[in-house]
Amino acid sequence: MTKTRGAICLGSTHRSMACFERASPALKEILLRLYRNERAIDADHHLHEFGSVEYYIQSLVSDPDHTYLSVSTPILSQAFLISTRLSRYTIEKVKAISAEVVEIVQPPKEGYQLTLRLNFARMSHGKESIKMITDIAAVQGVILSSQLEEMLMNVNSQDVAQGMYKPIKLVYHPREPFYVIKQPQKITAVFPMRFKEKTDVIIATAFFQELMDVANTKACAKAPHCIWSPIPPPELRGEAIEDLSTNGGFVSFDITSRHIEGKRLDKTVWNLLNFYAFVKNHVKSTRGFIQRRMRTCLKRQVEVLQKTGLQDDQHIKAVKGHKRMRKLVNFTKFKILRYRSDFTSKLKRIRSRLKIHGFSRFRRKWLSFPTFSSKTKYRKLEKDISLQHD
Amino acid sequence: MNYKILDFENHRKKEKKKESLSSSRAIVAVQVKQTDELENILTKKFLRFLSMRAEAFQVLRRKPVEGYDISFLITNYHCEDMQKQKLIDFIVQFMEDIDKEISELKLSVNTRGRLVATEFLKQFI
Repeated sequence: MTKTRGAICLGSTHRSMACFERASPALKEILLRLYRNERAIDADHHLHEFGSVEYYIQSLVSDPDHTYLSVSTPILSQAFLISTRLSRYTIEKVKAISAEVVEIVQPPKEGYQLTLRLNFARMSHGKESIKMITDIAAVQGVILSSQLEEMLMNVNSQDVAQGMYKPIKLVYHPREPFYVIKQPQKITAVFPMRFKEKTDVIIATAFFQELMDVANTKACAKAPHCIWSPIPPPELRGEAIEDLSTNGGFVSFDITSRHIEGKRLDKTVWNLLNFYAFVKNHVKSTRGFIQRRMRTCLKRQVEVLQKTGLQDDQHIKAVKGHKRMRKLVNFTKFKILRYRSDFTSKLKRIRSRLKIHGFSRFRRKWLSFPTFSSKTKYRKLEKDISLQHD
Repeated sequence: MNYKILDFENHRKKEKKKESLSSSRAIVAVQVKQTDELENILTKKFLRFLSMRAEAFQVLRRKPVEGYDISFLITNYHCEDMQKQKLIDFIVQFMEDIDKEISELKLSVNTRGRLVATEFLKQFI
């Protein structure tokens, strides 16, 4: 019997990477380890992601066939807080992973929204098992995206009374809320964009302008209409001032019924939920790109300057000194150490056979190898000093 | 790109105590033209990057002359150590390269943005 217990917190450093993966990498790894274990073990893992998502994985030797996974996630919007029960879409999607392997436990474990009973013994082997575990590890994303899916599914519903276009605030990542506004025949998603540095704002602004241009081209005619504005759109009038104060402006996407047909719904939801992460990733990679270009340019310029210093070589030639002396002086530290060790080992060999009284003192005085600090190349000291002053 | 070669007679007088009378100094100060915010930020970033590595250039000043983006200080020691004509060629080429590099960087940033935007919107189709 083996016991494992762990608590892992994934901080903000993992956020940007994890956003593009639906499955939680840490959860996937733990589930894969439990699946690959040949004998039952006692496992008790607590995982925290993004500061607000919590996973609890429990496996007991007394119940070797089952592993329990409980998930707690912040809800996307307070508007959905009608009941603590999971939406129909979430239940359908979880059941779609595999009815044999995954079972929803009712009621869920206290403090969690969803508890799943996993039967790894029934899971098929090979690549399919890894795909299934990946799907299970993505269950938190399913809970959140199904809320937005449900909202988008009602684009054409008549229950939206005219003039009642109240924005719904959604929070997928903490501190990065966005708004969804139901309008006749479309839903508008508005993203207030905030960045820490001015450079990021400018790179992102250039990106938003390109986004608007591309959205108006023929190639992307079927993509959602996109608008970037430095001021909040009129639909957000009346919202809290702290939510509307941005340095990167507001990006709006108009989602129509075309964008939620069949499989597109899932993609649309995922793109909207991860728009912030997408923009931040673009800004980060662009900064890296600029840095690389600058380094290359610096290298090129230094090479050009080095070509101008031909007189420097002649100067070195003039102070090179006598050939034999130069040979002696040109020893590198490594060479000196190597020669010294060879010499000592030779002496050791001599000493092992013949022991002469007082030889060690003689050796220290006369047979020690001289030390050299470095190559003595002349440099004008006053020149260095004057350059430092500059 | 605006540039100015400054013969600092007054500057020399101030520094007379430190420098010998035979020493000569010339400062080349360069001001890079910036048309928009992206160009402005790229220029600042790039010139700051170069200034921070001034020791690699020998003739580049860490702090530019007031009102300019980047400046070089050429003393008689530099003229002794390097070929004068090549040094002048280097400064001219440096100015041209900086201008070219910033224009190319701006273009690349916009092109990257366009490609990323296209990829993002294609996911909806």
